Order: sequence, then C-alpha cells, then structure tokens
Amino acid sequence: MSSYAYPEVLVETDWAKANISKPGIRFVEVDVDTKAYEVGHIPGAVGFNWQTQLQDQVRRDIVSKEEFEKLVGGAGITNSDTVILYGDNNNWFAAYAFWLFKLYGHRDVRLLNGGRVKWLAGADLPLTAEKTAVTPTAYRAASADESLRAKLLDVIEIARSSSRPSNLVDVRSPDEFSGKVIAPPGMTETAQRGGHVPGAASVPWARAVNQDGTFKPLEELKQLYLVEAKLNPGKPTVAYCRIGERSSHTWFVLKYLLGLKDVRNYDGSWTEYGSVIGVPIER
Amino acid sequence: MNHRTRVYDSIFEMLPGEENPSPMVRIGKMNPAPAFELYAKLEWLNPFGSIKDRAASEMIRDLESRGELRRGETRASGRGIVEPTSGNTGISLAAMASAKGYAMRAVVPQKVPLEKRVLLRIAGADVDVINDQMCPSPGMGEGSIGIARSYAKAQKDHYVMPNQYENELNVAAHVRTTGPEIWRQTEGRITHAFVSLGTAGTAMGLSRFLKGKNPAIRIIAVQPSEGHDVPGLRNKSELHVTKLFDEKQIDEILEIPFELAYTRVLELCRTEGLFAGPSSGLIYEGARRVLERDTKQKGVGVMMFCDNVFKYVSSMVRHVPGLGEE
Repeated sequence: MSSYAYPEVLVETDWAKANISKPGIRFVEVDVDTKAYEVGHIPGAVGFNWQTQLQDQVRRDIVSKEEFEKLVGGAGITNSDTVILYGDNNNWFAAYAFWLFKLYGHRDVRLLNGGRVKWLAGADLPLTAEKTAVTPTAYRAASADESLRAKLLDVIEIARSSSRPSNLVDVRSPDEFSGKVIAPPGMTETAQRGGHVPGAASVPWARAVNQDGTFKPLEELKQLYLVEAKLNPGKPTVAYCRIGERSSHTWFVLKYLLGLKDVRNYDGSWTEYGSVIGVPIER
Repeated sequence: MNHRTRVYDSIFEMLPGEENPSPMVRIGKMNPAPAFELYAKLEWLNPFGSIKDRAASEMIRDLESRGELRRGETRASGRGIVEPTSGNTGISLAAMASAKGYAMRAVVPQKVPLEKRVLLRIAGADVDVINDQMCPSPGMGEGSIGIARSYAKAQKDHYVMPNQYENELNVAAHVRTTGPEIWRQTEGRITHAFVSLGTAGTAMGLSRFLKGKNPAIRIIAVQPSEGHDVPGLRNKSELHVTKLFDEKQIDEILEIPFELAYTRVLELCRTEGLFAGPSSGLIYEGARRVLERDTKQKGVGVMMFCDNVFKYVSSMVRHVPGLGEE
C-alpha cells in the first residue's frame, strides 16, 4: 500500500500511547464543547473548546493571532513542541484546530488517526478525568497564512465560472447538498437558503473514514476524490461544509493525505454563502 | 411470589417471564385482515414501564453475579452503572439500581423527550444530556455512547457500563423471556413478529427463539425514515452503532415515514384504547402494510408495543397539530 503524501502529520494510537507525557510532545483534545474532555481525556492532554476558544467571540471569524497565542501559550505549549490533536466527532474540531495551527505557522502539528472514538475503543489506551497541570508559555504565532483559507468572494468567483471541474468540494450530507434540509436536525447555525454552490462535487466528509474513525487508505481516497469526484490535482481546490469544521477534515485529507498543492478551507461555508443576497445556488 | 393473586414481596418479582408474561391484546377495528389474528404485546405493563425491563434486569443480574457492582457508604463512593440510553433502558436500569442501592448515570441524546429525562432523574439517575446530532453521517460513533464509555474508562472505580449496544444479554433476555412468552401465549401458532430496531436486541432475540421453534415464522422490522424524530428507534443508516444487529435474522425491513408513528398512535388510543408510544405506532403501520397486501390472509401476528404514550406527550404536541394548548 502506498503511503500518504505527508504521513508525518498523522500519528496512530500506539505511537500516541508510547509518547504520553514525553517532553516536547503535547496532546490537545478539541471538542465541540469540553464535556467529553472533562469526563475523560488522554493523560496530560489539555482541552480546547471549539465554540468558545477557537473562534472570535464577537465577530464571526477565527480567533485573532493574539488570542491564539494566549490560548496556546496558556495551555503550556511552546513553539517547538510537537502538538498532537484529537477530538470528538471523528476529529472534525481537531482538524479545524489543525488548520488553525497551520494557519498561524506552528511547525509540528499532527492529528491522532481515529480521534477520540478510536482511543475509547482501545482497551489498553488510558483515559483520565484528572486535570492537567500546565505552566503557561510565551507562545508566538506567525501572521495568518491566508493561502489556506477561502473567502466568500473566492467562492462566488468559482461559482460564476464555467470552468469545470470547479474543484469545489461540498462535504455536507446528501440532504444538505440537495437542499432538502438547510442544516442537520437540531442545529442552530443555519442559512437562509438550502442547496449548494454551483459546480460543487458532493463528497460527504465521512466517506474519507473507516468505521473505526481512521482515514481510508491512499488508493481509496484517490478513487473517491480524483476519480469519482473528478477533482483536478493541478487546480486550486476549496472544501466547504456548513460552518467550516467538517470541511477542515476534508481539507486535511486533500492537502496532507492526497498531497494536492493548493487546498483551501472555506470556513464561512454554507451558513455564509447560503445567506448572501444574489449569489448563484443550485439545488 | 404469587402471579395468580398478584401479591409480591418485591417489585423485582413482577419482572416478565414465561410464568408472568406481559399481556397480549387483539387488534379489532384497526386490523385490515379480519381472518388474521393481530396482537399487541403491551410491554409498558412491565414493572418499570417498558420492554427494556427485560434486558436491564438481565444485565444488572450479570454485573452483580460477576461482582462488578458495589454499594458504597454513599452512592457516590460505590461502583454504579453508566449507560448511554435513549431513555427506556436508562429508566429500567436506574429504577433497579436505586432499589438495589447502586448509583446510576444515564447519558442521553438531546432528542430524548423531556419526560424521559425527568423520569430518569426521578428514578435517581444522574443525567448527562449530549448533543450527538451533529451530522447524520455514517462512520461516527454516537456522542452519548462515547461519553458513557469515557466515564467507564476514566472512572473505573465508580462506573461499569453494561452497554446495551454490544451486550449479548440484551438479545439473550428475549430468548429467555419474550420468545417463550409469545410461543406459549399463541400456543405455538405465531406466524409473524413485528418489531422495531433500536439496539436490535428484541429483533435478534425473538428471531433466534422463534425461528428455532419454527423457521417459517417471519420477523418483520420497521424503521423510521431518515432524519426521523422517533426516540429509541434507528434508521438503517444509524444501525452501525449497535453491534447486535444482523440483517440476516430479519425477513423484511419496512421503512416508514416517521410522522406516521404519531398519526397511528392517535388512532390506536382512540380506536383500540391502546395508549401505545410512537415506536408502537410505527410497528402497527408496518403490520398494517403487510396485512393490506392480502386482506384475506390468515395467520397470527404479534406486535411488540415497547412502551406507552405517557412519556411522549411533548413529542406528540410537536408532531400532532391541535394537541397542545397554544
């Protein structure tokens, strides 16, 4: 089996277990809220709350460079640390954090393959409810690398272009893509209209993972994205979902496992696009 | 214990079994094939209110016999139960655990109706409500199962998780009790069993027992349409969370628009006097569809009516216009 384009950004549970509490290696659990972390986490891990700590709490935006420095430094992480991210919902929020760490220039950040669900399934993998003691550091982030991020105008331009494939990947569920629902049941973040960006290929995020939450092998991912979804690896690619977290997961797959050169995450996603007056929508 | 006079020394003696079966009531006006005997098995008449009394009692007995549960000086200092539940298993477990002096923590999805969440607390459980409807995609463990597993893993001294989604006793309970009850109640004449799928324990247990007696007996399962709001049930796309489900044991699976669950509940209440819950409404609709195929057919069918409508008042108000007071 051939290996992923950047295999070094993915660690397996065995590796993680062997490296718990090693100096220079820091585990961070990223959940939609920190309930799961509080009940039990990998010993030594700190917990980040996607809702309150990874987004600006006033504007709709990612956390600022200063806030990111405060968060990461406050978690006792240094610039030279290897950061291992994992979390609930099959690593959606961990992948979002991975995208943020890359955006702010952290050198060595990796995802735990399979996330929290695989960790829980391993009988010999430890979990603790004990608080992790941290010593704050003076963490310094780089300026945001905007080349990893797609903005509304980029997506509108793609939508209006007749060039195909548009290399736009919609990672939401089929019912969201078709416009049957605007958001999964019970979700508060929604849009004014249902449907998808014209030209987008529908590849629900979950098709990239196995039942145990780990990523599928390279050949299957190639088949899925390059053959079935017909993405052109030579063109810029944009992944979007509803609020930008599921699409971070697919962004990770496209950029680091398949090795596509120019992949952006559209964090505004459908809640932004589907609410804008006059933009083209397909159903 | 005396099932004839129904005088008991403890509530546990009322648990169902071949000598104390839950009642079966024949469907009258709502049966489209009069020559076919269609029965509803009323599981809400079990002592803690649902079909889940069967699996819960089996699982607790097993944990006790293996020394996995411990009474503490206070409940918190012992070793109790943590379980992911859409309500009924949790209520049965909580009631039994409380009566036996063990602690119980229930981890429930947010979509579980308020009535069940409150009942869990009334029964003495600590309740964690989890939003696990982030994205209805396959390949993801449900949040409530993950949280319950986290408690069991991070706080081993305080919790053990029976895990109805993987525990073979959830099937064995029906092989030991429900199957033999139905066999005896129908005098071996049963031709069809109608069930719903949640953990799939009932479907698998009934299939194993009844087909062992007579392989021609048809096991027919209903499932609500995708994106449904029928607590406790699963669409096929959600069934990966249970390790017990084996499609080969089922003869037919009918997918039914979930709103019909609520419509049929009203009819069952108003026409047959059966105060059945939404999953029973869906099962009835499945049976009705099978009988409509040939209204002259003969046979004996048993529908598993898992619980009653009392726990779903808020769901009924949400889905049936005109029931609320607004």
